[in-house]
This record gives sequence, structure tokens and C-alpha cells, in this order.
Amino acid sequence: MSKKEKEQILVRYGGSRKEREIFLKGMMNPDGKDEVIDDAVVLDMSYGNLSGDICSSIYAEFGAEVIKIEPPGGDPSRKITPYGVNRKGVGVPFIMEARNKRYMTLDLREEAGREELKKLAKKAHVIIETYEPGKMDAWGIGYRQLSEINPGLVYIAISPYGQYGKKAQEYIDIPDSDITAQAASGVAANIGDMPGEGEPWNWPLRAGVWLGWYISGVEAALGGAIARYYTKATGEGQIVDVATADSYASLVGYPVTIGFTWDKARPRIGKHDFAIYPYGFWKSKDGIVAIAAGRDHDFRALLKVLNLWKHEDDYRFTFDRIPDILTQIEEFYKIIEEQTTKYTSGELVKKALDYSIKSARSKWRGGGVPIIMEVQKPATTRQNPHWNKRRSFQEFDDEMLGKFTMPVNFIKMSESPPRVKWVKCGIGQDNAYIREKYLK
Amino acid sequence: MENYFDYTKKIFDPAKTKEKPEVFKGLRVLDFTHVIYGPTAAKILGQYGAEVIKFELPWVGDLWRFGVYWGSFWRHSSVCFHFVQYGKYFFALNLKLPKAKEIILKMAEKADVVIENFAAGTTDTWGIGYSQLSKANPGIIYLSCATYGQYGPMRFFPGWDLLAQAASGAIALTGYPDTDKYYKLPDYVGDFLPGNIGAMAVIMALNYRNKTGKGQYIDLAQAEALMRILPNFTYESITNEDLGRAGNTDPTMAPSGIFKSCDGKFVAVAAATDEQYKGICEAIGRPELVNKYKDTFERLKAENAKELYDIASKWVGSSNIDNLVELAKKHHFAIAQVEDDYEITHDEWRQERGSVIVFTDEMYGKLMLPGPSAMLSKTPGRIKWLARPLGYHNRYILRTILGYSDEEIKQLEKERVIGNWDDRPGIKPPVYYDIAEDPMFNYK
Repeated sequence: MSKKEKEQILVRYGGSRKEREIFLKGMMNPDGKDEVIDDAVVLDMSYGNLSGDICSSIYAEFGAEVIKIEPPGGDPSRKITPYGVNRKGVGVPFIMEARNKRYMTLDLREEAGREELKKLAKKAHVIIETYEPGKMDAWGIGYRQLSEINPGLVYIAISPYGQYGKKAQEYIDIPDSDITAQAASGVAANIGDMPGEGEPWNWPLRAGVWLGWYISGVEAALGGAIARYYTKATGEGQIVDVATADSYASLVGYPVTIGFTWDKARPRIGKHDFAIYPYGFWKSKDGIVAIAAGRDHDFRALLKVLNLWKHEDDYRFTFDRIPDILTQIEEFYKIIEEQTTKYTSGELVKKALDYSIKSARSKWRGGGVPIIMEVQKPATTRQNPHWNKRRSFQEFDDEMLGKFTMPVNFIKMSESPPRVKWVKCGIGQDNAYIREKYLK
Repeated sequence: MENYFDYTKKIFDPAKTKEKPEVFKGLRVLDFTHVIYGPTAAKILGQYGAEVIKFELPWVGDLWRFGVYWGSFWRHSSVCFHFVQYGKYFFALNLKLPKAKEIILKMAEKADVVIENFAAGTTDTWGIGYSQLSKANPGIIYLSCATYGQYGPMRFFPGWDLLAQAASGAIALTGYPDTDKYYKLPDYVGDFLPGNIGAMAVIMALNYRNKTGKGQYIDLAQAEALMRILPNFTYESITNEDLGRAGNTDPTMAPSGIFKSCDGKFVAVAAATDEQYKGICEAIGRPELVNKYKDTFERLKAENAKELYDIASKWVGSSNIDNLVELAKKHHFAIAQVEDDYEITHDEWRQERGSVIVFTDEMYGKLMLPGPSAMLSKTPGRIKWLARPLGYHNRYILRTILGYSDEEIKQLEKERVIGNWDDRPGIKPPVYYDIAEDPMFNYK
């Protein structure tokens, strides 16, 4: 590198705080920056399973040309939506994952449709599918056949139990859904109240977020990105297999490691945590606050903020606060609650922040931070100036879909950030464009 | 043609993982992270072949070395720490001392990726931020993981998984409607998922560097990454109503829910599509329901979904799990039993798949761990060793990467620039292990 180039870098990323702020501010806006995988063509054939759409969305946000291939009537995923809420027949999750994509219809049950797909696959770099294992193969358009005409192809398959093994074969006729993925992968078993609370409170509970499908989608995208990296280096493609009934358990690791070392399952313990305390929710005067003060110095700070110093002696060290004696921890929960309900959420957050600033300035280092945060409702999150400054939300206005807002820009990168350029998802809207560009 | 499942079994065979190539071989990652969120991003890269060097403070160590469930250590170590940190090199370096900074800057010249998850701007004040390291190595990719990100008025707020869940609004979606009971998403998933997204961002940045030669800075906010997966913002902007909580049913599918079968098992059942709805109606023995709610959106309306939920609940309650699964196979709707930790650990299919691995470590012995969430046929992720005691690889790192001599290393030890453990579990080796004979710890 020349001296001049080095100097440029110095100027650009110079050390002072103000320069850092300017540099960071520039990162919040992705417009006009390079798109990193704009040379990749992705075919998304997910059917009735949004984890495939989630996966392809991520590639589309990073700049890939994503072609969503649907049967002529449209993908049934279009109709998977909370309480039937839709715009022109398109549900909320499908709108959310219709980022920067092209929409094409192909009838894969017909020979002609499959032939066209093969032609597309020749020019594609990544394929995503969620059909039952082996179906694409039986149609003659599975990994085995497509990798022959396109050896560099990365083939991502998402299914409940994966593409290989006995269970995958036995359960081939059972389709996928988010709630069943949550159940099978250990999400539901670990949410819910303590055994004494009575039914149905102590039942396993579904997470209100699509943990099954979103984690599968993100993991598929991650696996595909790794596979594509290998293709770029060697020219060799491969198959990436995601099992939605497992992706959560493998992501977080707890179910397996605890199941092995304890040789039994954890009970459901409601709002408490297994490793650290206090770490959970408390009522305030006007809502709910989350408090995390598990480290000893944070805990001491919390006691000071809440006027609970007299309990310091009983709960001094992390290991005095291990939540394994649940009655004891319930008792302590109530002691904290007595104090938190005296203040509004805003007051509590402010008290904690004031203390943090004081402790950071004090000579006694490591003064601790009582970590308190208001549990946010979507409306308050959306109006939060922090996220506005970070451009976390974007409003869209589409002829067909109308006006709506979406969470976007979830990764800020200085050179090649992901972004949402358009949201449009008419069935077969890009048929002509794709035929012109890829099938001529 | 060969049977599809014979073919896939052959290409995915977990027994052959070790023989297959590693994607990120030759890549070096400097990992200044702690607890779960940042370390996960680094671990993923290590799992696929990168050389990940984890920096910790000597005699202090990563907080999560002591993050154990219900206070019980496993062989003087934390199993979660093993899971988050496997396959890394453990280097304990006292950042406060100028000599340590020198070492880091030297290593940054030879590294590709840096990952940190301190409070916003902390590494810059320490002199090892992007502004400083990119001067030493302009090609460097620098990932900063913070709960609220590096920019914006809330950037200095401290955060944990729980706080990210609260700030993003994820918590407000889980639980039963019209109650004041709240539940967090379990297992610190608010750390693990953004950590994986961080790994993906780094891979994208590597792609960009391969194309243009330029490194870059990545600012990943944990809460923002969680917001990306929440449907409520879009829902609310369309309906002007709060999405709220739905308890044990998924409002996007009807019927759907977690029910109790007559043999006392919890079962999740769902009809994601019209085809599946038809199947479930037939299985219940109420084919007239198919026509009653022919329109999907009509079916999903709260009161109709409730009716179907009640029907499904009663039906599941009168049947046993085996029978239900057979019906699902015949009529094609989604079903799964709720599995707890023990069942997941001992599921045969997960072990066959390589999703649950019985790993035998040289230092710690046998531990069951999950495999990667995504299985790659040609370049699978793998576990090479579990976490190691604090400062275990000090000598190895200094010898191989920086070429320090024995005397220089001894001098650094003497000046307490590098160090290792004290007598606490979590940072020291297990008692039965003879560390004096360990060739890696005493690397020549």
C-alpha cells in the first residue's frame, strides 16, 4: 500500500471521537453503497413454508437477484397471516419477506415447468426449497440432477427432520409449521410457569415469535453463505440441509448440554432464570420492566437504587442467588417487586442510568450498573428516536400493498450493507423479465 | 437410480466429517468477546475452520466461565461455556498494559477478522478499535456487537439478552392475552440468534474483501437483529392495532396449538395451508368444516380460529400421540410432540443426523453437544476441542503467530502481561488433569 492510501485511511477512520461519530452516522444509511452478492442468482422454491422465504430475503437484502418461484395459483404462504389480516390477498409475514425479490410462476408438476426450471438452475448459484425430502429428486430437479448440469450450485433444503436419516424418511408425509418446529426443538418445553401454578399456566408455551421458522431461515442463509464461499474458492457446490425440528436446539445448545449433564429435563420456571439472578421482569407502577443485575457489582448497584441495601448480606454473591431454591427466589422476587411497583418504568430506567453515570465517574471502579429496561410495546419501539436515528424502520408505499412499515437495515456495514430496495409481490409479476433475462 | 435417502445418507455421513475440507481454513479471527452474543459469532467461523483466538483478562476470565445452571459446574467448567467457546485458542492477555497493546497490534496485522462486544466505543478508547486496527491492517473486518449498536442516543445503555428482548418488543408477544404474566424467550436465544447473524455479516464482508480488497466495519445491534424477526411492527402499521399475545395458538394458522393428548403428552398441531386444513378436518372426522371455512382469511379470524382451536383441543385430548402421528402421516398436517431437554438429548434421529454429538475431549472427557443447525454435505462444521482453561494457549499463540522466544515469554509472564488461572472453578483445569504434562500448555 502506498503512503497516500494509508493517509486516506487515516483521514477516513481517524481516531477522534467526533470523527467516529461522523463515520458511524454515515453507516446508518445503506443507500449508494456496494451490494456484496449482486453477482448471485437465487431461486427460491419454498412452498407453504416461510423459512425458505426468510432465507432468500436475507440474500436479497445483500444484493442477490432472488427469483421466487410459485405455482400458478401462488404460494400458500401468502395466506399464512395473523388473524387473517391481509392486503390484496397477501398476508403480513409474506409482505415482510417480499424484499427485493422477483416473482415468477412455474408449474413444477408439469414437465414443461420443470424443464424451464432446469434452464434457470443452470444460471443460478443458489436454490432454496422446502418440499418434502426427495420430492424434487423424484421430479428430476433435485440436487443430484441439478448439480450435474451446474456443479457449483448450492442447494438449500429445509424440512422438518432433514434430508437424511430414518426419521426424515418415516415422517416424509408430515409437513412443516412454526409451532411444531418450536415444539420439537425445545422452545415450548422451556417457556411456561412453574409446576405449582396449575393448568394451563404450567403447560409448555409457544414463543410469540416464529422462533422455529426464523431460526431455520437464518441458519439456512448462514449455511448457504458458507457453502457459497467454498464454491467461490473451489467451484464446487453442495447441499445444505436444515431441519426445522432441530435448528433451535442446535443454535442455543442448552437442551442437549443440560439434558446430558443433568440427565433429566429442566422444569419450567416461569419468569426466573437458571443461571443468574435477578434476571427477569418486575411490575412497575405503569407497566413491566426487565431487570438484569446478575453480576455482583451490578447487584449491589441495584440494591442501592431500589433502597434494598439491608438484604445485601443475605444475597451477596452470585452463588447466594442461584435460583435453585425456588421458594427462596420467589420470596426475593416479591421483595424487589415491592420496590419496583413504587415507581413508573421511566423513573426506574432513569434511576438506573443516573446511578451508572455516577458509578462510572467514581474513583471506585467497577461500581456496577443496575440494568433496567422498559418492556416495549411495538408502538413505543417504533417511535423510539434511537431506532429512528439508526433507520431501523422504513415505510413503504406500494400500488398493490398500500402503506406499511417494516424493520429493515438490521446489519450496519460500512462498505456493503444489506438494504431493502422495494417490496412487491404480485403473483408472476416478473415472468416476462425473467424469461427475457435468463431463458432466451 | 439410487434411493434418495441412501444417497443423502451417504453424502451427509457424520462419521466422515473429519475427512472433509474446512471452508475458512487459513482465516484468523481475533475474538475480544465475552458471555454469549459475540463469542457465538466467532465460534461459527471457528466451527468452519477459522483460527479463532479468544482474548481474556488473566486471573479474571470471561464472565460466562462461571455462568452455570443452578450453580453446578461440570468437571470444574461450565457446559454452556464449552458450547459457546469450543474450538478456540485461549489467550489471556492483560489489556491494561502497553506491552499487551503492542501484541494485539502485531496480531491485528496478521488477522482477517476482529470481533468485540464491549460497550459502544470501549475498544476505541483502549486503542484497539476499528479506527486504530484498520491503520495497521486496512483489510481487516471488524464486527462490533452491542445491544443497541454503536450509534444513537441509547448506545451506552448496557444490555443482556433479556434487555434486547425487552427493548425489541419480543417479550410483549409471548404469553397469554389479558394476563400480567410475561415470559422471556428461553436459553438466551436473544444472544445466540444475533450472534449467528453477526457471523453471516462477517462472511458477507469477507466476500466483499475477496472482491475488492477492502475491509470494513460492522455495527450489529442485538435488539435490532431481533426486531428483524418480529411481525408486530408490520402488522401494526397495517391494522393500527397491537398484535398482542396469543397464548398457545399461532394466530397465523388455524387450527393450531399445543394440546395435551389423552396419554398426557403435549402435542403441537397446525394446519399451515388449505391442504393441511382439509387433512386435519378429515382426521378429526369433521369434513363439513372444510367447506365452512373455505376462505383461509375467514378461517383465521379470531373467533373462527378459536372455534377450530377448541375442536382440535378436544380431539387431541381424546386420542394418544401414536394415533395422532399416524393420522398426520395419512392426512398430511403438521404435528410434533413437545420435546424437553432429556428427549432432545436422547433422540435417536438427532444423533444419527449429527445434530447431537457425543464428543470426547482430551481434557474433559465425554460431553454431548449439538452439531451445527445447518448441515453442509461437503464442508460440514465440526468440533475440534472444548473450551480450555484460562490462558491455556498463551505459549502456543506467542510462539507460533508472533515467534516469541522462550525468554521473551517468561519475561511477559513475569511482568504479568500474560497469565492464566487462579483457584476458581471455571477458569482452572479439572483437578484430575495433569497440566504439567500437557504439550499444548507447555508448547515449546
